[in-house]
Parts: sequence; C-alpha cells; structure tokens
Amino acid sequence: MQAARELYDDFIRTFGNVLFAVLLFIVWGLLTLVGVVIAQGKDPATYFDDYAAPLARLILRLDFNNIYHTPYYVGIIGLILLSLAVCTFKRVIPARLPPLRAVAIDKIPLHASFDVTGDPETIRERIASFFRARGWNVRKRELGGVEWTFADKHNWARRGVLVAHAGFVIIAAGTTIYWAKGFSGDEAIITGQTVSVPHTQTSIKLDGFSYKIKPIITKSGMVYQPIDYVSRVTATGNDGIARTATIRVNHPLDVDGVLYYQSSYGFAMRFRITHDGVRVPALMNRDYLTGDAIDLPGTQRTVAVAQFVPTVDRLNGQPSADPRVNNPAVFLQIFDSGQASGAGLVPMKASIDVGGGWRITPQHYLLVSGIQYTHDPGVALVGIGAFVLLAGLMISFYLLPARMFVRIDPAPGGSRIGLAATTVKGYDIFERQFNDLAAALGTKLIGDTRG
Amino acid sequence: MANGRMPLDEVLMIIAIGAYVAGALALLVYFFSRSEWLRHLAIPLAIAGCVAQFGQLLARYEITHIWPLLNLYGSLSLFAAVAVLIFIIFAFRYDLWFAGGFVLGLAALFLAYAITWNEGTMPAVPSLQSYWAKIHVPLVVSSYAAFMVSFVISVLFLVKYYFERSLAGQSVMPASGAAAAASGNSGAQWLNTMPSLAQLDVLIYRIVAVGLPLLTLGIITGAMWAHESWGHYWQWDPKETAALFSWIVYAIYMHLHTRNAWRGMRTAWVSVIGFLSIMFCYFGVNLWISGLHSYKV
Ligand code: HEM
Repeated sequence: MQAARELYDDFIRTFGNVLFAVLLFIVWGLLTLVGVVIAQGKDPATYFDDYAAPLARLILRLDFNNIYHTPYYVGIIGLILLSLAVCTFKRVIPARLPPLRAVAIDKIPLHASFDVTGDPETIRERIASFFRARGWNVRKRELGGVEWTFADKHNWARRGVLVAHAGFVIIAAGTTIYWAKGFSGDEAIITGQTVSVPHTQTSIKLDGFSYKIKPIITKSGMVYQPIDYVSRVTATGNDGIARTATIRVNHPLDVDGVLYYQSSYGFAMRFRITHDGVRVPALMNRDYLTGDAIDLPGTQRTVAVAQFVPTVDRLNGQPSADPRVNNPAVFLQIFDSGQASGAGLVPMKASIDVGGGWRITPQHYLLVSGIQYTHDPGVALVGIGAFVLLAGLMISFYLLPARMFVRIDPAPGGSRIGLAATTVKGYDIFERQFNDLAAALGTKLIGDTRG
Repeated sequence: MANGRMPLDEVLMIIAIGAYVAGALALLVYFFSRSEWLRHLAIPLAIAGCVAQFGQLLARYEITHIWPLLNLYGSLSLFAAVAVLIFIIFAFRYDLWFAGGFVLGLAALFLAYAITWNEGTMPAVPSLQSYWAKIHVPLVVSSYAAFMVSFVISVLFLVKYYFERSLAGQSVMPASGAAAAASGNSGAQWLNTMPSLAQLDVLIYRIVAVGLPLLTLGIITGAMWAHESWGHYWQWDPKETAALFSWIVYAIYMHLHTRNAWRGMRTAWVSVIGFLSIMFCYFGVNLWISGLHSYKV
C-alpha cells in the first residue's frame, strides 16, 4: 500500500514537472526532425543507396524509415498527453487560480508604498474606485487582522491555459478516431473501367479523364505547367442509384461520407502480341499500366512496360519533356531470367522483336485517373480542437491576468499604503504598467486627500 | 520586356530594396552612434520600402492576375513586406528602432534573393489553384516574418547578455553593465542605450505571441487545404513535418517562458533555434528536399 502510494507520488511529481514535459517535447521534436531529414516510406534499398551501410541498417532497425507509425513516436505523444493532463490538474489549476491571501508586500519585486493623509476607510474606498474605474475587479478581505484590497484584471483569462490544453487534447482525440475508424486508399481507374471501393458499398466508373497543360516560356526555359485535371465518373453509392459527377483537383466528390479526390493520372496500354506471327489473345485482351510486365508463356522472358512517353521528338527520336500526347511511344524493357537483355522506345503501331519469335506492337493507349479516397470521422473533432487551441493561445498571449495586493496600515498623520502586483507571466512584463498605476494612484490619493 | 521598359512591379521592387538598404545603413549606424537624425531619416525609408513592397505585390497581381504567393519570388517578397510591417508597428509602439538595421538588412537580403527566383508569369498548378492559397500562404509567411523580428531581438538580447557577463567578469567592482557604464566603459555605455535584458525578453515574448498563433492557424489551414487537394489532412510531407517541428520549438519557448529560471537567456536561445528551424522549413524543404510542397518553379 505504502509502496503503491510512493509510486503514485513519484508518477505525479515526474509528470507534473514542466521541465519533464519540455523534455518530452524535445524528444518529440527530435523524432519529428528525424522524419524530416530521412525520407519516409521508401524501399529499403534506397537507404543503402543514400547512407553508409551501418547507418542504413540502423535506420531500418529503428524503423526510422517509417517513424510516424512506430510505437515510440505514438508513445511519446501519449506521454505528452499524460503529462499535460497531470500538469493541468496538479500545477496549472492551483497556480493559475490562486486564493486571496496576505503577502509580504516588499518581498514581491513589483511593489511601492506611500503615505497619505486621511482615514483608512475613505482611502480604501478611493483605492477601490480607482481600480474599478480602470476595469479591475475589486475584492476586500480581512486577513490576520489586516484589511486587504485585491484588484484583479482579466481574472477569467487565467483559464486560457486550460482552454489551450483542452484544444490540444481534443485534436489528439480526433486523430485517434481517424486511426481507429477511418480509412483511406487509392485506385488507378482506367477509362471505361469500374472499380468497387474497398471498405464501402460504392463503385466508381471512369467515363473519361482529361488534362490541360500549358507550355510556358520562363527565364530558365520551357516549362509545361499543368492547369487542370478532370475525371468524369459515374458513382453508385449505398442507395444503388448511379450518378454522374466530375472530380477535379481541390473539388472532391462526396459519396456516403467518403471523399474522392483527383490525385494523379497516367496511361494504360493495349498491345498486339504475336508468337511466330500468330496472335496471342490471352496477352492482348488486357490493359497494361506502367510498371506492369508481360510474361511470355513457355519462356523465361518478360517484357516490362517501363514508361509511356506522350511525345517523341520527331527530329531526334528521343522522348520530349512535353507531357501532352502528340506522337506517343512506349518504353519497353526485356528481361531474360531476370537479367535485362534489351530495351526499346516503341512508337504506336510500330513493333519490336523481343526474341524467340515474339513481337509486340503498341496498339493504343487509354488515360488512367488516380483517385484517392478518405473517410475521416474524427475531422469535426480535430476542427473543434484546433479552434479551441487557437482561442486558448490568444487568451493566454494577449490577456495578462494580474493581481494587485493593497494593504493599508495606520501611520502617523494618516495611512501607509503598500502596493504589490503579481501576474501569470512574471514581473518584467508588467513593470511599466505597474509603475504607471502606482504613480497614478499616488497622485490621486495624495491630490485628493490634500485637496 | 519587348519595349525595353521595366514592368511596374520590378520598378517597385527595386525602390523597396533601395529604401531598405538605405534605411538599414542609417539604422545600423544609429545602432552604434545613437544619432537621432539617422533614426528620423530611416523611419520614412522603412515605411516607403514597405509601401513600395505591398505596391509591388499588388502590381504583380494586376499584371499577371495571379496571386503572387505560390513561388519563392512571391512568397519571399510577402515575407519581407510583412516582417518590415510588423517591425514598424512594434518599433513605433516599443521604440525598437535600434534593431531596425538588422531587420531591414535581412529584408533587403531576402528580397535580393527573391529576385533570383523571378521566373516571369506562371499560372498555378491545379493543386495550388485554391482559395486556400490566399489564406494559408499569407498566414504562414506572416508567422515566419514575425519570427524573423523576434529572432533579431533574441540575437540582440544574447549579444547584450554575453557582453554584460564579460564586463562583469572583467572588473571586480562594476558588477553590472550599468555600473560599468557609470565607470566610463564606452562599450557598456553603448549597451545601456538598448532596453534592459528584461525589456528585451518581454519584447521577444510579445513578438512570438504574434507568430505562434499565426503559425498555428497556418498549419491548420494548410491541413484543410491538403485535405481538399490531396485527400489527407496530414501526410508527414517534409514541409508539414518541418512546420510542426518549428511549432514544437515555439511551444517549448512559450512553456519555458512561464518559468522564472528559464526566462531570459535560455528562452532567447530557444527563439533563435525556432527561427533556424523556420528557415529550414522555408528554404531547406523547398530547395533541398523533394515532396508535395517543393513547388520551387
Ligand atoms: C506535455 C504537454 C504540456 C504540458 C505538461 C503543459 C504544461 C503547461 C503548464 C504547467 C503551463 C502553465 C505554466 C505556468 O502558468 O506557470 C502551461 C502553459 C501554457 N500552455 Fe501548456 N503544456 C503542454 C502542452 C501544451 C500545448 C501542446 C499547447 C498548445 C500550444 C499549450 C499551450 C499553453 C499555453 C498557451 C500556456 C500559457 C502560456 C503563457 O501564459 O504564456 N500547452 N502549459
């Protein structure tokens, strides 16, 4: 029992320490930095190309190639949230909402005192009205036989920290909902093809895809600037009704709460494939995407559809940088038992002999639209959290809760006034204002009482 | 230009750079000499440069009908304009002119660099053709601008801090800058014309308090835009991650600033680190790391 209590106390002490929280933040920052510096989600071989072998092995062993999904990355965010919760309840609330209490005026760095004539009761009233007139909230208490006046400015804003922290927690909750319940993915849809989207009852048919690209002459040469990508689709959702729609960049389509985005485009190819002059329908009646391979039956040979070249320069026969289709060709690579044995840039309708009596002729191409889909049920919460966090930041930054402590003691010929101030952000930030206030109060009281 | 005349936006850009360079020189001399006439000379120059820059951005929009935000030329220009604007506002409010030489000097440097990225008129690629561009980019760039001003003040804080410390170490008697100044040390006398360390610290905090909410809003609007363009709020793209990293650094700054023991020299260092990380996020990611955000042409 005793041991459990001590453990609990240690836990609270550690997690309630702002410096510990900062340490967690630093670790989070460093892990995030690792994610910035090391390319994420690449093929393991890439790391061996980019880094010395021991470093590459370390990166892979520590999962630095996929750091945001590692248990320790998620764990550090969990610890930060835990620390935030403990700090909020154990430190922020008690420190930010202090009770009215007596203080040793001259122990507080911002303090002033002066003597005025007049009886304490009238002076107290004057002081109260001085602060009230400037928008301060005035309360009076008798503590230990002394009459104290407390004036608070922006007292409610002491809760700004709580608001900011709550916002952060709400964002974290929203993200967790996405992790638990959301999904996303992408589909490359060939013109005319229908795909059923995983996790949903939806099917999407691509009726057509078009893109607009503008050649622009800049100071550093010709640039082909994409202007628009548009997919015309027929989407069938839960209700079974087919509806036509367009999807373009920045204008996603919503079907049953799942959003569909225009994310990329590409080309699919049809080939005429013959063996000893005889067509091979099994290989011809399908669409090949870039990266697909044609396995020639009965051989160790494959032909990879490496790249679709929209425009081949008619003068030199080389691929041009122009991404618009205008004299297209396909770049094919031939592999024999896994070894590269040849390659060729083959224009449409031209044919290439790939050996062993096989010929391949690119027949025609089709546009492919890359559609990305996402379902994120946590998004509303993240939005609310962001708003709350921002409100908390603004309250904390722009309002400075300050408390004035005023005690009045009888002095020969009148009263002695002691004045001190504390704020939630230390003393320096309030020094000028405090000096102005003390001077104005002095002038008022001395002027008033003498006059 | 075919007719040999320079377009209006480039003329305004040159006026802005000229005004900044002249203003920076005047204020740099003012920083050391404290001759008031230099300050009076520099204030109109800073204002003129800033006005010329906003004029340049508008002229650019008039000429191209594209918001000049989406490439380094446009965004750097906005960055310099907002940095100078924020500086001018703070300078009038908190008498910050002594630091102006550095702010205007940096602004002129960034502008000169911006010109090297002027590629002429370019329409935006589809993902950038969004109203979010007009919200997200100015927010993020303004936060960078605020952090640049806080960076300059942080560096001045640290210079003053270490100088005062070395003075205190040199002589046994005058234990502080003020005491050393009273004893006739000219360097110390000059240091004393700057605000006190405590005042500089409060200034840094006040400027970070402009930058951090802007960066927070910038990241949030960026996420909303990404959601609309790419279907994901957050993809850990290098730019997003670097912005988050900078945000973390400034969140650390803000928390340490609530502790008496950390406020001052240490938080000034955090602010310096924060700005370096912002610069990495701005240039490093655009120029060195390829990702969704590397739209450098
Ligand atoms: C590990 C997580 C966190 C912990 C333990 C923590 C702890 C604290 C504590 C103890 C304070 C009050 C300091 C004082 O009054 O003496 C504070 C202030 C504050 N926190 Fe946090 N915090 C965390 C994360 C965050 C995050 C992510 C934000 C969002 C940006 C945030 C925003 C604020 C704000 C705005 C203040 C007020 C600062 C000021 O008045 O200058 N906190 N935090």
